[in-house]
Amino acid sequence: MRKWTKTSEFYVAIIILVLFVAIGSQNGAFFSSANMFDLIRSSIVPGIFVICTMMVIISGGIDVSFPAIATFSMFSATKIILMLDLDLPVFVAFLLAGIIGLGLGLINGLLIAYFKLPTLIVTLGTSSMFSGFLLTFVGSRQISNLPPALEQFGKTPFIKFTTDAGITVGLPMSVLITAAVIVIVAIMMKYTMIGRGIYALGGDPVSAERIGFNTKFLQCFVYGFVGFLAGIAGMIQTTMMRSSNPVDLLGTELLIIAAVVLGGVRITGGHGTVIGALLGLLLIVTIQNSLILVGIPSYWQRFVIGALILVGTGVAAYQIKRSSSKRSSILT
Amino acid sequence: MVKKSSMSAVAMLLIFCMVILTACGGSTPGNNKGSGGTNKGGDDGNKKYKIATVVKLTGVAWFDRMEEGVKEFGKTTGHDTFMQGPQKADAALQVQIIEDLIAQKVDAITVVPFSAEALEPVLKKARDKGIVVITHEADGMVNTDFNIEAFDNLEYGAFLMDNLAKAMGEEGEYMTTVGSLTTKSHMQWEEGAYNRQQEKYPNMKAVARKLETNDDQKVASEKLRETFKAFPNLKGFQGASGNDAAGAALAIEESGLIGKVNVVGTSVPSVSQKYLESGAMSMIGFWDPAEAAKAMNTIAVKVLEGKAGDIKEGFDLGVPGYNKLIVKDGKYLYGAAWVGVTKENVTDYDF
Repeated sequence: MRKWTKTSEFYVAIIILVLFVAIGSQNGAFFSSANMFDLIRSSIVPGIFVICTMMVIISGGIDVSFPAIATFSMFSATKIILMLDLDLPVFVAFLLAGIIGLGLGLINGLLIAYFKLPTLIVTLGTSSMFSGFLLTFVGSRQISNLPPALEQFGKTPFIKFTTDAGITVGLPMSVLITAAVIVIVAIMMKYTMIGRGIYALGGDPVSAERIGFNTKFLQCFVYGFVGFLAGIAGMIQTTMMRSSNPVDLLGTELLIIAAVVLGGVRITGGHGTVIGALLGLLLIVTIQNSLILVGIPSYWQRFVIGALILVGTGVAAYQIKRSSSKRSSILT
Repeated sequence: MVKKSSMSAVAMLLIFCMVILTACGGSTPGNNKGSGGTNKGGDDGNKKYKIATVVKLTGVAWFDRMEEGVKEFGKTTGHDTFMQGPQKADAALQVQIIEDLIAQKVDAITVVPFSAEALEPVLKKARDKGIVVITHEADGMVNTDFNIEAFDNLEYGAFLMDNLAKAMGEEGEYMTTVGSLTTKSHMQWEEGAYNRQQEKYPNMKAVARKLETNDDQKVASEKLRETFKAFPNLKGFQGASGNDAAGAALAIEESGLIGKVNVVGTSVPSVSQKYLESGAMSMIGFWDPAEAAKAMNTIAVKVLEGKAGDIKEGFDLGVPGYNKLIVKDGKYLYGAAWVGVTKENVTDYDF
């Protein structure tokens, strides 16, 4: 019991509860089914991103290139399907985007595993390169008319009902993909050798190697897998927005990383849970989507979002400071 | 071990540099040919200039259309014109691009600022180096030779409000959004719309004003959903950024609110067509960015040729919508180039 209340997940959950009560007391509409479904809808794409970022941070790295990979994959996949002009099932579109993302993720992985370059530098560089390549060689013009299968998928609801107020509330099918990704990664991190290896790698790469993990493979796996997931998340964004925009998603990485760190995933690696990361996301999405409900004017909304990033990254910086001071105390 | 990996990193960097150098080498002859061509053009007596256009963001239909205008201007006049812009809407990135252009010694820079304040210092630097600076959508900018607006921003906002009022039956609650609180033009459109509503439509009420969407369709969509929950009687939405109206219309279509909430805003026909046809959007207003690009470039050439004095009240730039300029304080120019598009005439435009 004492151990359970000491986890950061517990504290984030309490903050979220307090936040829910505070917002709900200001505006009862917060607890309406429409609002709850809107919160889930807003988390579909960021949900996958949070899972990606969590894996990378646990492995001891940091990835800021996932929005660029997602955008690259979704836009080129949409373009390829439009060019082929075949009525392909929607599954192919997701697979194609995933494979493109996998390829880009592996570029990150290889640079990090074999050249031992710092992960932040690599992903900052590749992020800009991917995005630049996309806009220069693939295209820069928003696609408003999607292939019919994708358009149809975007319009197909998973749940749909009409409230008393006459609003249609619903969730798109893609919510199932996000749910599946969360479950698969949660199982992988907890019960498989690869998951254990990722924790070990983030905890201490040298020890991980000594006890027999192939760290190069693990790093390539993490970045490749994250690229794959990012590609799929990009495709979800396309179907949800019913258009493919090559500059979408870029710039979302800071809030995602802040969410993951707020959720108790240690920026120094080796520690963190799927539940924690999701709680962190819930916290940020709730704040982002409730400022109007509470009646905070536009200028203040900026301030609040900025403060969120500051707190999220501040916690991260504090962790680094604490862990490095601990480390040096062992040495001396 | 450490040494080996650092060696391979160095090797990789070298390879990387070589690739980039060869890529540059490959393009240099092309450039030479290009400038050779323009030099020949110079024999006709007119000097040919290198004019860069810097936009807020690349990859959106709006600025793609502007690029068409930039290229067409170059083709018809023989000047070396090109367009550049950051991949995400960020003032710092725009500053960087302009710094690069100053280093390249272009003759003129025409720019659509993301944030006017953020660009003042770098544009001052450009002007100090003798580069002609023409701005667009930056009314009141200090460090510019001329700022050209497609129209008076307050007037355009009022024009959008008239259309929103018509769609709402001149009564009910409405909300407004802007791309960013630092985008001057968006703020002025919103201001103009709000003032018009206060004057002419006393039964309408602004319940949420100037919500920021970061020029992002998804955010605009979420803002509409949230505002509707906070104000269930919401009847109107006016968006300033090119993505706001489309995002709002998407949310309205998905929530089954067509006919209940009316959307007007700035957008382009290619993005809005499906929403105008479904009824989720009532009307969009815009100006043709290609014509705006031509107007900017025309003014840049005028200034470079030393004919800046010609530009006075009523001056005709020879670009549609800019035939009778209004001039305020010497260097702030206004055309009358807005276009309103509804379901009926949306197919007349192909961008």
